[in-house]
Amino acid sequence: MGLIQGAATVDRLREEIQGVRYRDATSTFCRLMTEQDRPLKDMIKAAIASAAPYVQVPSHLMQLPNGELRGVNYDHTILGWRGAISLMGELGGSRGILPNIQAMWYVPQGLNVWEQVICEFPGHYARDGEQCGKKFPGPDESVNRFDGPAWNVPRIYFQDHDPIEGGSVDERLARMNWAISEGDKAEAYGLFLGLARDPVNRRRLKDAILFAGITDLQDTIINRGGYQNIGHKALRARALVDIADYLGWDNAHELFYTVVPDLGCSPRLYGLWSEICTICKMELPGYASIPKRSDKPLTERELDVLTEAIVWGGPFDVNAAIMGFFKRGAGILDVGDAVIACFQRYLIDVLEHPNAFLHPTHALDYMNVVQSWVRDYDNPHQVKAVFMGARFMNDTIRSNANFPRDPTFNLEPRAKYRSWADDIPIDRLLPVLKDHVLAQDAPRSCALVDSYLERTSERHDLLDTITYAACHWQNDPHVMRNGASSLEEFRHNRTSRRDDIIRGYVKHQSRYVKRAPTHDCFHVYVDYFKPANA
Amino acid sequence: MSDDQTLAEFWRIRNAAAVTLALTEEQMRRVVQTASVEQLVALFETFSPARSAGPEWTRTFDPLVEHLWAWGDSETIAAVAELFRARGLPWASVANALSPNQGDRLRAATPHPSWARQPAFGLI
Repeated sequence: MGLIQGAATVDRLREEIQGVRYRDATSTFCRLMTEQDRPLKDMIKAAIASAAPYVQVPSHLMQLPNGELRGVNYDHTILGWRGAISLMGELGGSRGILPNIQAMWYVPQGLNVWEQVICEFPGHYARDGEQCGKKFPGPDESVNRFDGPAWNVPRIYFQDHDPIEGGSVDERLARMNWAISEGDKAEAYGLFLGLARDPVNRRRLKDAILFAGITDLQDTIINRGGYQNIGHKALRARALVDIADYLGWDNAHELFYTVVPDLGCSPRLYGLWSEICTICKMELPGYASIPKRSDKPLTERELDVLTEAIVWGGPFDVNAAIMGFFKRGAGILDVGDAVIACFQRYLIDVLEHPNAFLHPTHALDYMNVVQSWVRDYDNPHQVKAVFMGARFMNDTIRSNANFPRDPTFNLEPRAKYRSWADDIPIDRLLPVLKDHVLAQDAPRSCALVDSYLERTSERHDLLDTITYAACHWQNDPHVMRNGASSLEEFRHNRTSRRDDIIRGYVKHQSRYVKRAPTHDCFHVYVDYFKPANA
Repeated sequence: MSDDQTLAEFWRIRNAAAVTLALTEEQMRRVVQTASVEQLVALFETFSPARSAGPEWTRTFDPLVEHLWAWGDSETIAAVAELFRARGLPWASVANALSPNQGDRLRAATPHPSWARQPAFGLI
């Protein structure tokens, strides 16, 4: 760690974030906590506030000069915080701070996405995805100027607004949802702020914002380019709910500014929602009264049928399977748990190419939002959301399958290393697993998990090991988000196949493409927080 | 198993399907062995995401590659691979699947038991 001059202050943190000096900002974030005992919660709020004006885009579709459209990525800074806050409780102690340091490391790299994709502002998208350094190198070609610092101030595409008040709560909630679906960002945001002021409204507001996010989902990503959102509206809504509950709603204005306007951003996609509404109306007229849990969870045979439909079938196979379960009396969470568990076979058995994990695991994270909405709120439309999640999963699997498989990315079978894993004493296995996740050795990591799951009923330390290893990788909030989803769903899942969630999780975290080969951020965390078992 | 069906009946139905598949495979062997470079290129082009009839079609890419390496002529395969290699990254999967290394691996890995009419290809 180099010598850092000057006092760590929140003003300094803000300047470093907005100047895309992510290494400096991360050090200042750590120093504020370690040298000045500033609470982590306050520092997370300060970081969110610093980024808030600069995470909006005019649209998630950019029209090119030739009339074609390209997608503009969604803000991921807030998704990193949501994952980090969730994992903090899972990892515990100073280890729980690591995902927050990773979230902080990413924030300055995730501003001004519109300018990043056209190579006019530095950050993760400009540096990595767009390869702007090759297109527009600076005077010193050995330095990638798109790694930061910024050479101009980030743009603000949506100014903060005042709350809109007046009218009944029912009326304002309905207006807000209509404004989101019509793309009136200012109206939606103003109404949200007005409703959020009164604690009495907040539970209904959370339900409404989750509903808005979940229903806005593409019907397919196959050959769609940027005309999709891969679940980001729902993921943002969940981030808002979780982080506001963590910060306190009276302390979360900048969080609202970060999340709510984007829910109404273009494109807004209701094709799948319309389809699911139609088939539920035709086949499940009593859908609003389907219980959350029933005494008729899915049988082993039904789990096989659902796996076949999601992993190998088409959209109508998925509709038919799920419709059948509801018609014969299964509950919403019974089917939702099964969807989560059955999807894991795709991660476990099929996926090989590191790049191919991205879309299916977005679908998993979306389904986690659905399940948490069903668990925590009452809404007559929740049964439809289970169809949406399963269809999203199936569609991403079909989208991957639409590309011929490249044999140069073949994986060795996990079974090849099973006897090796079985020979490792159970009390020595987890450190070995950590090493193999860090080495991105999926076959051995998966064999170790298979062996562990069969030899012991212990799960907490296993999940802790995978998650802590995964959080060594920087520049990618997806890691924290997927960790949060997987752990939460494992805790709640009541199917006989819940351990498959751990098998899928370790395969993902030991194979998914990494955005940086080094662990610089992890080393900053170790330097400042000195964890006992780094 | 339902009460009115025996295991033998299930096995008889499976065998009927296997005979049908074996006859189809024999036809496939003949056309693969006589296919020209141009015909094979045209077939592989149908696996482009933009031209594919859908994931169900594209999922048959790996079995097709197995069949080609089992029965095809190495020079013809090399000529097809070269054409796709020249097309760049979007066709890398096809070029890599038709590389000699991949051929050696597949030929060694696809079993052909002495009692079977054809190699044990993957289905889909």
